[in-house]
Amino acid sequence: LTPDVAELPARAAVAASNLSLVSRAKAGDRNAFSQLVENNYDFIFRTACKWTGKKSDAEDIAQEVCIKLATAIQSFDGRSAFTSWLYRVTINMVRDMQRSSTRRDKNVDAFSLVHPEDDPGDQEEATTARELWTAVSELPEKQREAIMLVYAEDMNHAEAAEIMGCKEATVSWHIHEAKKTLRGLL
Amino acid sequence: MDDDKMTDEALSTLKLLRTSAPSAEAKKFALNAAMVAFDAAQPKAAQPKRNWINRWMLGAGLGVPLTTAVAALVLFPVATQLTATSNHLVGVPPKKETTVASVDEPVKTDDAKAKVGADATTSTLKLQAQTQTQTPVLEKPVAPPNTTVAVAPTTTPKDAEVRAVTSGTVQTEEALPEMDQLADAAPPPAPEAINRGIMVAPKQSAPMTANATMLGGGLAQPVPYQPSGDKFQKFDENRTKVTVTEPVSTFSIDVDTASYSYVRSTLKDGFLPDPDAVRLEEMINYFPYDYPAPTSLDTPFKSTMAVIPTPWNPKTELLEIGIKGYVPPPAARKPENLTFLIDTSGSMDEDNKLPLLKRSFGLLVDTLSPNDTVSIVTYAGSAGVALKPTKASDREAILSAIDALYPDGSTDGVDGIALAYKVNAAAKGDGTVNRVILATDGDFNVGIDEPDQLKTYIKTQRDQGIFLSVLGFGRGNLDDELMQALAQNGNGNASYIDNFQEAQKVLVEEGGANLITIAKDVKIQVEFNPAFVSEYRLIGYETRALANEDFNNDKVDAGEIGAGHTVTAIYEITPAGTGADLNDPLRYGSSSVAPAATSDELGFLKIRYKAPEGETSKLITAPITKDLVTTDIASAGTDQRFAASVAAFGQKLKGSNYGETLSWQQIADLANGAKGTDANGYRAEFVQLVKVAALLNPDHAGGARSIYDDPTGGKIGPTKSTGAKPVGH
Repeated sequence: LTPDVAELPARAAVAASNLSLVSRAKAGDRNAFSQLVENNYDFIFRTACKWTGKKSDAEDIAQEVCIKLATAIQSFDGRSAFTSWLYRVTINMVRDMQRSSTRRDKNVDAFSLVHPEDDPGDQEEATTARELWTAVSELPEKQREAIMLVYAEDMNHAEAAEIMGCKEATVSWHIHEAKKTLRGLL
Repeated sequence: MDDDKMTDEALSTLKLLRTSAPSAEAKKFALNAAMVAFDAAQPKAAQPKRNWINRWMLGAGLGVPLTTAVAALVLFPVATQLTATSNHLVGVPPKKETTVASVDEPVKTDDAKAKVGADATTSTLKLQAQTQTQTPVLEKPVAPPNTTVAVAPTTTPKDAEVRAVTSGTVQTEEALPEMDQLADAAPPPAPEAINRGIMVAPKQSAPMTANATMLGGGLAQPVPYQPSGDKFQKFDENRTKVTVTEPVSTFSIDVDTASYSYVRSTLKDGFLPDPDAVRLEEMINYFPYDYPAPTSLDTPFKSTMAVIPTPWNPKTELLEIGIKGYVPPPAARKPENLTFLIDTSGSMDEDNKLPLLKRSFGLLVDTLSPNDTVSIVTYAGSAGVALKPTKASDREAILSAIDALYPDGSTDGVDGIALAYKVNAAAKGDGTVNRVILATDGDFNVGIDEPDQLKTYIKTQRDQGIFLSVLGFGRGNLDDELMQALAQNGNGNASYIDNFQEAQKVLVEEGGANLITIAKDVKIQVEFNPAFVSEYRLIGYETRALANEDFNNDKVDAGEIGAGHTVTAIYEITPAGTGADLNDPLRYGSSSVAPAATSDELGFLKIRYKAPEGETSKLITAPITKDLVTTDIASAGTDQRFAASVAAFGQKLKGSNYGETLSWQQIADLANGAKGTDANGYRAEFVQLVKVAALLNPDHAGGARSIYDDPTGGKIGPTKSTGAKPVGH
């Protein structure tokens, strides 16, 4: 793969290939499913990583998402983009994982993914981001999801709403509430 | 609002969150697990799957069955992970039936039972967590072979403890309310439902799997395992032939040993190999045998024959024909011109592939003499000439060139193989031995896509004096059939390298044999004398069979023999008049007339071969006389007894119709008593391998389970299990 391919067409190509893989996988094509999971694993992992802040948790979640895809793929109806759907699946998994354990409470040891020593670039800003993440991770579930989708994943409220399965206005409201809380902390 | 903007800006730094790359290992596990789950969800399992979903959708309020069903749903994947993870969990390969069985059950499950189950689960989890804390390092699943069940592939012990205990207690209680929520929410979107389900399940099913494993593997009947992707030529075992109607048997010799190393590798990983991966002749020929060597190149090889009692059948005998190739004195050694064509596709980026090749390469370079030349061409990744023809005396240059190779994504369209031959041809010298050595894990996108075209191309090059050998690496992508075919067409060997020791054997110990051809198109023909041999069966060589008329046809290609190679062929023969015949005598045929004993020979051996550069074949003959017969197996030579034990092992391993009567222990004992000097420990390793096979597929007599204990009557899985088979099966 040449690195200098423009990103946008590449994205479109990925989306198109995802869709064709999905339909083939739904029909039982093993290779297509394998390819689909392979193509999207990094996306799933990185999303899980951002949300949990822990590599080991992210790997667990990514694995479970992969297993789940085997059956859940049948329920993907193409009404939303595949990646949006995959976001939803992944985030649900994160949510369940965190709900089902007390980990979240013990998880105040912050975003520990990239050690500062390993990543000298933008040191200061990255540190800010980590601190911010810690604050965000303390928010109520819905608010946290809204903030992460809108700010960390850079989505607009409509996209976030689609993934969260609620109305756009609800997302805006969650964001608003979250900001109120955060303002005191930042 | 300024305030809001500031928060906004601050929040936008969240975009800068950096995530590390996922570990390749975790990714591999996830992908494997996904594929297993996918397979489980496919047509065969379509019915159960729908049931699960129905229960999710309709029976959500029941709670208990749900939990069980989900546990069952994920049991399979998790079990697979475990098997894939800790290799020592032998004998319990992934088993779909376990899943199906427990799916039928949940409806009957009552609350009490569920409660007990939940408690058990919790305690198991605790127990397990403790075990984990005692085990100092178990970060990665692959690392410590003794960690029984890592709950999740990547957890620190401490973390695991917390999680295990909490999920054990919290989960079971929490699961029920969640079901109710689902029910309230009427028909929720399926992904949501399944999402929860799978989420809950792994934590609960992990201990179940653990128990199953600890129970000693009695639950599952071993099934042969073949990593998806490896391809083997299908073949039927040689049948027993009646001497009167078919007195002549013809085949091409085969000095390849790839099958044995492949089988060893799968067994050591705790799986039974695919029956088609077990080629008896390659198993037998893997081992060095101490046959007397010919003294001059005039007759490049010498045959050694013996007839010994068959270990697995008291009424038959084994005719063993051993052939040893001439070893030219070092002075007569011709300079070698070697071109390595190395697969650098992304899939070669595994420890047992390119890195292993790199490490082994030093071994090979050390065995070369200063006048030999080495060149390296790569394909499928970083493509092109990696090393121009370089004298072996420049060791540093060669080693740094191989060291600089790196696996890459796939780049098609580079004519790797043509380039390799071109580079090799350019380095041809007077009297050099020219050879291209293809090293790959199965990607043959060398520039010619059509296998037949590729074979033809290799044949053409062979005729111009450049031979081809193939080194196979890794599992999962291996195209054994094509590998064999290419090497055969290129007058070379196909070897499978699964570890450093094997690299040493192939490249160093047998380096000479594998690189210096002393005879080509070697064919063997045996004619049996019906007066003494009523039936015979050639063990192995199925993929090397030749028509009788091809024996004298010099146009028909056959196998090569390298310097010092040994080749062993074994016939199981039924002496006439013992009544052990599998075939009834013909009612109307001529066989009722006892053939005249015109000679006291059991048969006659003919070997045809060509000199490496010759086009006309020469013939070597030897009578198989009665004085070769040994009636007591104990007095047979160690080589003969050992070869017989390997044949017995291979036959049992592949579920052959013949020779399954021996127990693993008997085979191990036979081999153990025939180790001889075994300077390199190969025979000792073989004995260990027999023991591994015994663990994976226990003999019924050993008190372990067999198809008799299997409620399905052994219908599941293609294994023929062990021991005698039920009538009509």
